Amino acid sequence: MRLRTTSRISLRHLRSKPLQTFSAISVIALSTALAVMTLLLARGFQQGLTDAVEPFDIVVSAKGSPYQLVLNTVFLRDAPVGNVRWRDYAGVSDDARIELAVPLAFGDSYRGYPIVGTTPKILRMRKAPSAPPWLDVIEGRWFEGEREAVLGARTASESGLAIGGRFMTSHGMTGAGGEHEEPHEVVGILRSVKGPYDRAIFVSIEDIWAAHEDHAMNIDGGRRGVTSILAHPISYSAAYSFAASYQRDARMQTVFPAQTAIRLFSIIGRGEGFLSAMACVAVCFSLLVATLALYWSGAARRRERALLRILGAAGRSLAAIAWLEGTYSALVGAVIGETLGRAGACAAFGFIGGATAIMPHAPFTPMEAAIPASIFIAGSIGGLAVAAFERWEGDELPLER
Amino acid sequence: MTPAAPAETAMPLLEVRDLAHYYRQPDGSARLALSLNRLSAGRGEALAVVGPSGSGKTTFLHILAALIRPTEGDVAFDGQNLREMGRSGAAWRAASVGYVFQDVNLLPDFGLLENLMIAAEISGLSSGSASERAVSLLGRLGLADKTRNRPCRLSLGERQRAAVARAVLHSPPMVLADEPTASLDADNSRTVMSLLLELCVESQSLLIVATHDESVKKKLPRLVALEKPENTWHRGTPQ
Repeated sequence: MRLRTTSRISLRHLRSKPLQTFSAISVIALSTALAVMTLLLARGFQQGLTDAVEPFDIVVSAKGSPYQLVLNTVFLRDAPVGNVRWRDYAGVSDDARIELAVPLAFGDSYRGYPIVGTTPKILRMRKAPSAPPWLDVIEGRWFEGEREAVLGARTASESGLAIGGRFMTSHGMTGAGGEHEEPHEVVGILRSVKGPYDRAIFVSIEDIWAAHEDHAMNIDGGRRGVTSILAHPISYSAAYSFAASYQRDARMQTVFPAQTAIRLFSIIGRGEGFLSAMACVAVCFSLLVATLALYWSGAARRRERALLRILGAAGRSLAAIAWLEGTYSALVGAVIGETLGRAGACAAFGFIGGATAIMPHAPFTPMEAAIPASIFIAGSIGGLAVAAFERWEGDELPLER
Repeated sequence: MTPAAPAETAMPLLEVRDLAHYYRQPDGSARLALSLNRLSAGRGEALAVVGPSGSGKTTFLHILAALIRPTEGDVAFDGQNLREMGRSGAAWRAASVGYVFQDVNLLPDFGLLENLMIAAEISGLSSGSASERAVSLLGRLGLADKTRNRPCRLSLGERQRAAVARAVLHSPPMVLADEPTASLDADNSRTVMSLLLELCVESQSLLIVATHDESVKKKLPRLVALEKPENTWHRGTPQ
């Protein structure tokens, strides 16, 4: 028989048992989707973390938890670890090993959007020497005077604020700490950085000091405190030398956010490993169920197989029919599963982005294609197994009375 | 047209000698299912294979179709020993044998014409000529307007006529029919047998019909009587 005819017979067989076919394809699709989604979530989350920490080479702050520092400074979550003095910032800035030092001051918010007090030096930050500036004003201008604010892309799209708009900042991150007296005016909006700083509102660090004149920002009697310092070293060796010089400092610490994020991800990664193992089990189970479904379907057709055999169909043609049934089911299941898995991962990315400000994303890679491809191959092998088993059974002639 | 008289030629199309077939029993012994000393038949002949239930009529047809290898004896078809056929049995069967079953056995998921075309493809007919002949045969058998119908939408008589068309579509040298009228009423039984005989005579096919039906026996000029083997056991393992 020609391949076209065996293929036609296989497709008719699948169509004539819609419930059985639907069940086989569904279990393959769902397990493929689970495996693809697990992979994409793990990769997307890791990518989101990497993107978020990329602009931050070294963060200097008061002594405290490095995780809290990274959560606060890089991801704009959690409370600040404490403040250091302006002259500490000046020391970092003047250090020969540091090319660029940017002061940051946190502690206020507007409707949950964190206020980041800084200086125009932050506009010089880049993810890589050849990359464009990390922050780019696409509408309006950067703040120049007091009580001026620049919105991150997501703050601009979600908060309802626009250029010329005025708002009152609140003390603390929840807005429950009471509003400050003087309003800020929006003067610029930034291009999306695809990270937590899309939710930020940038103001002059002097505004933060002014608002906190009487309390938190006062360090050792001085009114100018800094929550953290973003430091860009001149070289790798300079970075480690700089970090080493703070190792015995009783008041201050240096953190490499990339390393901290990797440690954070390794904790999450253990969960991902478990999920991957579960996905593998689900895939194996689904292939077994699909193979059994194909076998049951084939068993119900022993009479037809015997008929084709009596008509003179070669054993390889009968095997091809069973094999193609498995192959088609696996192909359709794998394609639907890949689509569902990717759609599910995209939905989860959106949710994670909304809830954590990390922007997970996972571009298509050959590794991802390997999952549906291996499920397709395994389904095809399942079809072959059914074909071989049918051939082994085939000596009985059910047409015989 | 009537079937030919018994062949007197030096080289018959079918020649059977000392045929015996045993079936393995669950206890390891073997039961004799068929025994036939001698038979020869030529092209265009029509034979009725008769005998009580259990006399091995279906087994005999399966041996003639090279579906099973006989335990003992030889079956030669056109000079070729069917016992020696291995994997080539399927190809030989596709080209040389047409088969009509008692229970019709058309492929349920395909229309009548598709059923015939699949059989034609298996037998190696080119699709162009097969299509033309299939449509013509179905028209001749009164099924011209039902070529796209699936078997479940046809009466039993219509299905059996379609099965006859499938068996003779490629004009095989031998047509085997296993109780082809057993499920049919008298009218349909007459129609099916007449068509089968007519088409086999036209294509000069050797027709062998296993039957209990007296009316069928009367239509066929030659009877081959099989007897039910009695208590014939063969210890050991059959082939």
